[in-house]
Amino acid sequence: MERISKKQVYKLAQQLMLRLSEEEADNIIAEFDTLLKQLDLLDQIDTSNVDEMIYPFEEPTDFFREDIVDHVLPIEEVLYNAPVEEEGYFVIPKVVKD
Amino acid sequence: MFANRKIENIEMEVMDAVNQARKQQPLLNAMVSFTEVDEAIEYAKSSSGKMAGLPIILKDNVLTKGVRTTGSVQILDNYIGTYDATITTKLKEAGAVIIGKSALDGLGMGGTGTNCHTGFVHNPYDLTRMAGGSSVGSAVLVASGAVAFAIGSDTGDSVRKPASFVGIVGVKPTYGRISRYGIIPYASSLDHVGYFTRGVEDAALSLEVLAGRDDKDMTSSFREVENYLANLNGDLTGKTIGIMGNVIDAIRSKEVLVLFNDLVEKCKAAGAIIKVIHMDPVRLKTCLPVYYIIANSEATANHSNLDGVRFGMQERGDSLEELMTNSRTKGFSFLLRKRFIIGSYSLADENQDLLLRKAQKVRRLLVEDFKVALADIDVLIAPASSDVAPLLTDTSADQLSARYLIAENHMVLGNFSGYPSMTIPMGKINGLPIGINLTAKPFEEQVLFDIALGMEHLTGCKNMMAEVML
Repeated sequence: MERISKKQVYKLAQQLMLRLSEEEADNIIAEFDTLLKQLDLLDQIDTSNVDEMIYPFEEPTDFFREDIVDHVLPIEEVLYNAPVEEEGYFVIPKVVKD
Repeated sequence: MFANRKIENIEMEVMDAVNQARKQQPLLNAMVSFTEVDEAIEYAKSSSGKMAGLPIILKDNVLTKGVRTTGSVQILDNYIGTYDATITTKLKEAGAVIIGKSALDGLGMGGTGTNCHTGFVHNPYDLTRMAGGSSVGSAVLVASGAVAFAIGSDTGDSVRKPASFVGIVGVKPTYGRISRYGIIPYASSLDHVGYFTRGVEDAALSLEVLAGRDDKDMTSSFREVENYLANLNGDLTGKTIGIMGNVIDAIRSKEVLVLFNDLVEKCKAAGAIIKVIHMDPVRLKTCLPVYYIIANSEATANHSNLDGVRFGMQERGDSLEELMTNSRTKGFSFLLRKRFIIGSYSLADENQDLLLRKAQKVRRLLVEDFKVALADIDVLIAPASSDVAPLLTDTSADQLSARYLIAENHMVLGNFSGYPSMTIPMGKINGLPIGINLTAKPFEEQVLFDIALGMEHLTGCKNMMAEVML
């Protein structure tokens, strides 16, 4: 893997809706150096014809339940933790500007 | 200890626990919040449940209705649970009295107890040392004697490593054995509910309370929950115990090896058959990078809903995007923002094959190796860490060394595979505890508890508690 650039770090942060200081971005780049050396270890492993392992077991544990309403939170509880709410809605800054 | 013990004076037992946790708080900093106990005490008085009257603590990533649940991050600092996690309900129904919520490395991400929103958590055996993480507060409060049982969660080794550093029992059962409904997630394919006790019998009883199918967690297993305590048998005769040879080869501390070898000799004398098993060393060194890629990728996706709009802390902004960016930037510590960036890097279109999918493939190979290692034995064992708890100021680990990559991180195999795994204390070095880790085949928790009990008899390390100087 190639070394990550500061521009890439800022782009990733922006996509994640996060901000980083200059110092924090430098710290991440330095840490990537160690991480990339560790990742080089992966390249030593032959994974041709190997499937990805997503979950530990393949024994089925899920099923389609009956389409019946179940464990629903009342609206007042849903809104209980809302930073700003009004008439049963979450309030956000105006999206469509005048 | 609480297995086979009826708590006579529930009020006194609970208030003793609350007072002890409060008194120790200035030194240990292990609690996030204390909860109201009156109603639970009244319920416990008429309960015939398996934990009737037992004061317990939950890691602060377990939802509790009407009680603050922060996940140890600022963005959830004001969050009040609107429902109980399934395990919260099960513990309440068993008569347990929840006295509070404990500190963790933010969102379970970290293994040091130094990344908690409420500050460093201290090891009760030496306040200048770490107690591991991420379930650090729960581990410390069991080790300090405040409570005999506490809930943790384990994504890499977040129950089993702290258990080693504070001399208690830490259990991570099989993936799917305990419902995760109502637990703030870290990485869904690796997350397990785990717990701490000070003895194997208590650990066996606790799983009877916690385990079982829950349709609200579609990864939970339909398999029957066994009578682990009643069936417990610590006779090691004929039991086959495999030693993880690669881990032993990577450990540099003579004291740790002496303790470990001494216990192995005692197991042999008690009738156990010992085998040394080596796994592919090149693959084994990839445990940590595989973990980092998978865990951070899943965490990045799981926590995209923490945006300050519908719940949690909000920082104002002129636009929705600015509001979310301000909330997330202030709401997550730098360590968490860094991990999200690493996760996002692995998830990027151009890196998915090279990183995420590659890691998931190597995970399969590692699990296949692990399965082969366990094929002809009952449990696989190794020291739970390469040394005793590090100093809080210690950042010296060489992250490319075999000691770090193998001896400090082998327990993540239990998360990759989902196999049941637990740590019990094996002794002390200069007054500081260290544990031994045992792993069994899937859903063979009974085998795990049986051999752990046999070892507990041999070490005499049962009900160990630190003396916290108040």
